[in-house]
Amino acid sequence: MIFSKDEIILAYTVEKCLKCEKLNRRDFCEGDVLFNSSLKCTFCDGTTVIEKIYGETLQK
Amino acid sequence: MFSMGDDSDPLMMLVWIIPIIIFVFYGQQIQLLVTSGEIKKAIKKLDKFRSDSKKELIDYVKKNLDPVDDPTKKIEQFLDYFTIMPVDMDPNGIVDKVRHTVRSREDYTRNHVQSLSPNMDEIELSRVQTLLEIASSLQMIHKIVNHMFLTAKKQKNYPLILPLQMMLPFIMEHAKAMNASIPAFKTGQPLGDGIGPMVVGKMMLNEEKEIISFQTALAKIDYEKRKLFLVKAEGPGSTVGRPDDALQKIVANNKIDVIVMVDAALKMEGEDSASIARGFGAAIGGIGTEKFQIEDIATQNKIPVFSIIVKQSVKEAITLMTKEIAEQADNVRSQVYEMILENTVEGQSVVVIGVGNTAGVPQ
Repeated sequence: MIFSKDEIILAYTVEKCLKCEKLNRRDFCEGDVLFNSSLKCTFCDGTTVIEKIYGETLQK
Repeated sequence: MFSMGDDSDPLMMLVWIIPIIIFVFYGQQIQLLVTSGEIKKAIKKLDKFRSDSKKELIDYVKKNLDPVDDPTKKIEQFLDYFTIMPVDMDPNGIVDKVRHTVRSREDYTRNHVQSLSPNMDEIELSRVQTLLEIASSLQMIHKIVNHMFLTAKKQKNYPLILPLQMMLPFIMEHAKAMNASIPAFKTGQPLGDGIGPMVVGKMMLNEEKEIISFQTALAKIDYEKRKLFLVKAEGPGSTVGRPDDALQKIVANNKIDVIVMVDAALKMEGEDSASIARGFGAAIGGIGTEKFQIEDIATQNKIPVFSIIVKQSVKEAITLMTKEIAEQADNVRSQVYEMILENTVEGQSVVVIGVGNTAGVPQ
């Protein structure tokens, strides 16, 4: 038991701007679905789509 | 002259002889006692998984679906439902029988889950159905492990507990993975197993789609003067669709030259997660009926089947997709196109099937 570590999976959403092709990673929000339109691009105000949703494991 | 003083001491002789006698006559019981401790801990964990998954399911239904009545009793009834597989003494026609049994169970579950809240949409329905399957599987695992343990204990039979002790790490790996998958299914996140639908789903984007078989989408596109029939489960609900039925319909109406399947596959120990491999044959898991039908169609029509797999562990396959797997999607897509160009000539037709659970992956 002394070697066991608790794991937390942090979910992220990666948006890609269709205009400037910049990627933006943010925390996953419920309702996020791949390929759907997302927030406005913070660089050029273009439309972004959700390119990836993935999890990263954090060990406590 | 050469004797050691301690050896002739009757007390010291007893210290040696008594443990030997104990081990000769009670060795098995001692081993049983030691092993029992480990198994009891595992059973306690399995019991926690079982009750947690049930609680999560009931809470999800109560919170999100506005059920007509209290769903607890109904859900508990569903969890105890069992499936009796057809007899296989005469294997002739067994695949059709298994398919019928499994699909009847799926239809039954779907209808009864729907009855919990008549206004439930298809996506919620598929989520609840999956959560129900997880809770039901965890309940069954707990029941079987507990039964084997208690039987061995009751009979005081150590050899009976050995197979359980050997299998327990694998059983626990599966159970832990199933337990860890619940948050992803509840929030509709893509799973590691969804890499196939993710690759084909992106190829389908902005194309006209139709539902070709139950919960299965089809898009027809042209690529380098070849006709592509893109098939995947209809997302973003949690379903694997029926790609075998879809292939049957496509082949019945079109001349197909090549089938390409994209799927997640279990990696071997020591292999890198998210590594890609190409091969031949139908890459599809499950109970085997779909694989059988796809192979049957391919054989009857003399269509070669090529596969691209993305390797991952059991846990990675049914929990939220990892960064490494997600980052392979573009690479896999380019390998699909490469495979099509390598194995077909202009004017030919290809079916590309994205196999796997399409939770969180639309098209």
